[in-house]
Amino acid sequence: MAKKQIDLSIDFCGVKFNNPFLLSSSPVSNSAEMVAEAFEAGWSGVAFKTLNSDRVRIVHPSPRMNPYHYGSKRLVGLQNVEQISDRPLKDNLLDFLYLKKNYPDRVLISSIMGFSNEEWAYLAKASEDNGADMLELNFSCPHMTIEGSGHKVGQANHLIEKFTETVKKAVSIPVLAKMTPNITDMTEPALYAKQGGADAIAAINTVRGISQIGLDDWTARPKVTGVGAISGTSGPAVKPIGLRFIADLAKCEQLGLPLSGQGGIETWIDALEYMLLGSTTVQVTTGIIHYGYRIVEDMIEGLSDYMAERDMTRVADLVGKALPNLQDTDKFDLDRQGTAQYDIDRCIGCGQCLIVCNDSAGQALEWDAEKRRPSLIEDKCLSCMVCSFVCPVSGLITYKEQPKTWQRQETEVMGKDLEDQLKLEACK
Amino acid sequence: MKKTDDFTCMTKGFDLDQAMAEAERCLLCYDAPCSKGCPAETDPGTFIRKLRLKNVTGAIRTIKENNILGGACGVLCPASRLCEKGCCASGIGRPIEIGKIQRALVEHSWTRNLQVLEKSAARNEKIAVVGSGPAGLSCAAELAKEGYGVTLFEARPEPGGVIRYGVPSYRFDLDFLERELADLKALEVEIRCNEPVEGQGGAEKLLQTGYSAVFLATGLWGTQRLKADTGQIGGLYTSVEFLASLRDQNLAQVRQQLAGKTVTVVGGGSVAMDCAEAAAKLGVKDVHLVYRRSFSLMPAEKEERIEVLDAGVHLQLLNQPVDFIVNDKGDIQGVKLVRTCLGEPDSSGRRSPEAIPDSEWVLETDIVIEAIGNQALADSPQWYPNVQVNEQRLVQVDSDSGQTSVAGIFAGGDIVRGPALVVEAVQDGKIAARGIMKYLAGKDV
Repeated sequence: MAKKQIDLSIDFCGVKFNNPFLLSSSPVSNSAEMVAEAFEAGWSGVAFKTLNSDRVRIVHPSPRMNPYHYGSKRLVGLQNVEQISDRPLKDNLLDFLYLKKNYPDRVLISSIMGFSNEEWAYLAKASEDNGADMLELNFSCPHMTIEGSGHKVGQANHLIEKFTETVKKAVSIPVLAKMTPNITDMTEPALYAKQGGADAIAAINTVRGISQIGLDDWTARPKVTGVGAISGTSGPAVKPIGLRFIADLAKCEQLGLPLSGQGGIETWIDALEYMLLGSTTVQVTTGIIHYGYRIVEDMIEGLSDYMAERDMTRVADLVGKALPNLQDTDKFDLDRQGTAQYDIDRCIGCGQCLIVCNDSAGQALEWDAEKRRPSLIEDKCLSCMVCSFVCPVSGLITYKEQPKTWQRQETEVMGKDLEDQLKLEACK
Repeated sequence: MKKTDDFTCMTKGFDLDQAMAEAERCLLCYDAPCSKGCPAETDPGTFIRKLRLKNVTGAIRTIKENNILGGACGVLCPASRLCEKGCCASGIGRPIEIGKIQRALVEHSWTRNLQVLEKSAARNEKIAVVGSGPAGLSCAAELAKEGYGVTLFEARPEPGGVIRYGVPSYRFDLDFLERELADLKALEVEIRCNEPVEGQGGAEKLLQTGYSAVFLATGLWGTQRLKADTGQIGGLYTSVEFLASLRDQNLAQVRQQLAGKTVTVVGGGSVAMDCAEAAAKLGVKDVHLVYRRSFSLMPAEKEERIEVLDAGVHLQLLNQPVDFIVNDKGDIQGVKLVRTCLGEPDSSGRRSPEAIPDSEWVLETDIVIEAIGNQALADSPQWYPNVQVNEQRLVQVDSDSGQTSVAGIFAGGDIVRGPALVVEAVQDGKIAARGIMKYLAGKDV
């Protein structure tokens, strides 16, 4: 398949996107000047930074973010307490007009947050009147400093339904409800949003978290005028949570709405995973905060090459492809067991496999101290594969399924001679 | 005044972030080969793991408890053939830069003023350590940690031995040395400089003046010479004289003396490389390095050999000095060299140089530095007449305890091994300290 025949464009709620990659509503979509740059880089659309109606003055805490580093790997997560847009509504709407004038083929999603029914309707109408192609209802900002807003709404199902309904009555453009992950089951509020008329669900907003406490001041970061708070965590660290919620929503037959997935996407692989679990579009912030708008070039190229290798032309054909394979754990066939297998010629002798197998697994490895090589006692192997997780040589340790007749050794009992002292009333 | 030029200061090492990034490449091996590769058991496998798990103070403690000169070794060790040699990361790329991590951690302890070493309760016994080079410092630290009173006797004006007077500053600077010495001084070791322990039986007498044991670590401050009786030739120096002069307060004067001159260094070991590179860095006209075998047979470390080339030194390989050409004022004018070819391997396993007949030529030069090997000073055996020495005047010891032929007198470092590495001297100091403690515990080594 030639790459030029690949079609990354996709229909989402009747709106055509040149590709599935959007900016999410956040610091990266704060103004037309920024968004224009993103469009130039290749992003197909934007969920603009959430509008407010000027009724309440928005002031961002200072400092408003904090990085979550892992060793010298930077920004595996991001902590932030930024509020919705602090710009006057008029400025934001002028920016809408500018963007639609200059980038008519890109999709402008207006993210809004009201504090009353009237306000939701007002913001929705103002957005539609000034060029917004879609709306995204922010039910999920996890750190609004104003009561009755943000994720508090996302946790109150009747408000979700009410506000969605209000907005739907006010406008004719498609409406996304953006959900908070700070609940147990997202399908429930999503169904209320559907009840209110939502056309699609966007998820996830940031996960309430704390990723760093100052060790000298015992204060969570970011520290704002001496005060720490639980705030929104985003970035690669939350991808597993995002994927889980997207899968839950996609599997919910009663819901049946298209999804815009987000949470920790940096690469085309992350984006593809969200799509395979049912996202039609994907949204990105933290990846851009880390690397800039340019990452979309690699997302487009990477996804195109992936499709070309598989002779696929339409990106829409990827949406939901992993869902049939996603089952509950009770569907596992426990009669089929396996072990690790070692391509020992490639071993470099670090012995990390030995340490983890001894300390966290089946103690199934022997060690040749002279040659510095492990050897597997196959029938002690638990097939947990932790050895392969720490092995620095990719593909050296792989999983091998054993025949059905294969038996795993039982874990050795150290206290056999203490059997007389056992008192097991319940087991008699 | 703080000196900041690139001759008197070493290049900057890793900061803690860089050290951490390097530690993240480490595979944290089982039964770590790097730890087995350190002659002083500094245990990189453990201190890198500690760094990786953000136990930074603990990492420094591991280094410093095992090796009081952990910083110096981080800088000076030929790590590529010691700890880094067996590094498993080589199997997927390149070895971890262990020496640089080690240096960074020790420097971090100074920046943060971390005191990681603790002293046991004071004991009554006092021990005399003769010589404050790496072996002496190491032995003193081990004993001081255990609560013994330790007095270091140093003949020269400042402590440090070869790492003060035998290494150019760009390889190991004085600021770094002073900080590392401060770690030792914090253990309340008494350092008495300008106090040579010499004269007939001078070292042995220490046992009668209140010291329960003596550790000899006097090093090799004599030099082998190409010819006898060359003492009066102007412009002829030994490597010991030359390198010590670079640490002198009068470095500016040395620089001036060398300006515009041609310098010839004779020898192929690490000391010769230091002399040649230092001369080149001082901006002399030309530096020649004369060596009688080939490049790859030089005893110097490979990195040092390459550095010398890089510094612009002209290598006169397969050439052997036969005489000095001296003018009527008694100043050197040139070295007469004979070209050599390589014959059969000698006892060292290296092919031995054979002079090519009628191939003499004269290399014109203003200065000659002889760097063909350090040796024990000629009168050193007199300082300890009852201690057994060999024909090279090297002190003979039991390798498990450092004990000499005289009860209560121990020895280590170059005066025992001959020319060796700082890290090996550190280990000798540790072994002897344990030997001394055992000796004092039961007078039974």
